[in-house]
Amino acid sequence: MLRESSRTHEESVDFAVLMDGDGESGVPHGAKLLRFAEAVVSGSAADRDTARRALAGAMGAEALVDAAGVISNFERMVRIADATGISIGPMSEEDHALVRELGIDRFAPTT
Amino acid sequence: MTTISYSDARYPIRPDFAQAHSRFWESLARPGAWWTGAERVAIAREARAAPQCRLCLAARAALSPAAVTGKHDRVSDLPETAVDAVHRIVTDAARLSPSWYRKRIESGLSDGHYVEIVGIVVALSSVDAFCRAMGVPLPPLPEPVAGEPSGYRPARLVSDEGWVPMVPPDNAGTVEADLWPSGRTGNVIRAMSLVPDAVRTLKDLSAVHYLANENVRKAGVDRGGALTRSQMELLAGRVSALNRCYY
Repeated sequence: MLRESSRTHEESVDFAVLMDGDGESGVPHGAKLLRFAEAVVSGSAADRDTARRALAGAMGAEALVDAAGVISNFERMVRIADATGISIGPMSEEDHALVRELGIDRFAPTT
Repeated sequence: MTTISYSDARYPIRPDFAQAHSRFWESLARPGAWWTGAERVAIAREARAAPQCRLCLAARAALSPAAVTGKHDRVSDLPETAVDAVHRIVTDAARLSPSWYRKRIESGLSDGHYVEIVGIVVALSSVDAFCRAMGVPLPPLPEPVAGEPSGYRPARLVSDEGWVPMVPPDNAGTVEADLWPSGRTGNVIRAMSLVPDAVRTLKDLSAVHYLANENVRKAGVDRGGALTRSQMELLAGRVSALNRCYY
């Protein structure tokens, strides 16, 4: 959906940051958003506090709350997918190419 | 009923979060389709304890989780196979496999019991992750409500796109017609439809945390909040990658 939304908004996004977590995503405030996501998923309380302050300072409290909502939403969605073994559904050639380019195929479910 | 409030948070949190989380808390406490209220709350307690479980920590560190044997550090009297399901979904979901799922079923967990566990664990994970993100204390789990599970199982189920049976995409004219617009939904929404109330909770929480389901596939739609859709999807993609999620 990032690819589709960036096209809709005519933004140039570097999808590699999704896997690396580093670099310029092309999304406004992307670095602070990514740091906050990482702190929530795998950081310490101190990491979260630092990332929270940085994001709130740059984007405001409302954006911080919205970001917390999205991150926690996907903590749920990934577990639904993994715990039920759902198939990803039909993918276009472009989808396949992006999966290969980013190395997402290494996350493919085991049998 | 336990009403969740975030009024003491350092940053102001819009009230629909506390309202949606309180609705989940209320449903968590009540008997479900396959588990009693007490068992449902026990599943939530196990989910919160799982990250500290020594067996889970060892399994997560191992090349293959199957290489690690032993018993979980449990905090309930749920069956061992249910405890294993809860702990693994919390701590190592990306390495769950069809064979692991089949073993859960062979060891006495019905598919309905399993899907209801998934529903509880994932909803709780979003509430707790939100609290961690905002630096607010985790709300105490609700007091269970007495009663028996309904045993409800949708009349139409198919095993087509996952390990578990699901309501078919075309759900028009069925009791499950409210779960998604007939014929138009993703597998991640259908995934828990063996327990329809788990999908209803998912929709309720998603509408507050992210987007209403009907808007998820509309790339130009944002929630009218402080983030653009691209900022939301950047977060979504990074969280999925950090969790090593293929989907």
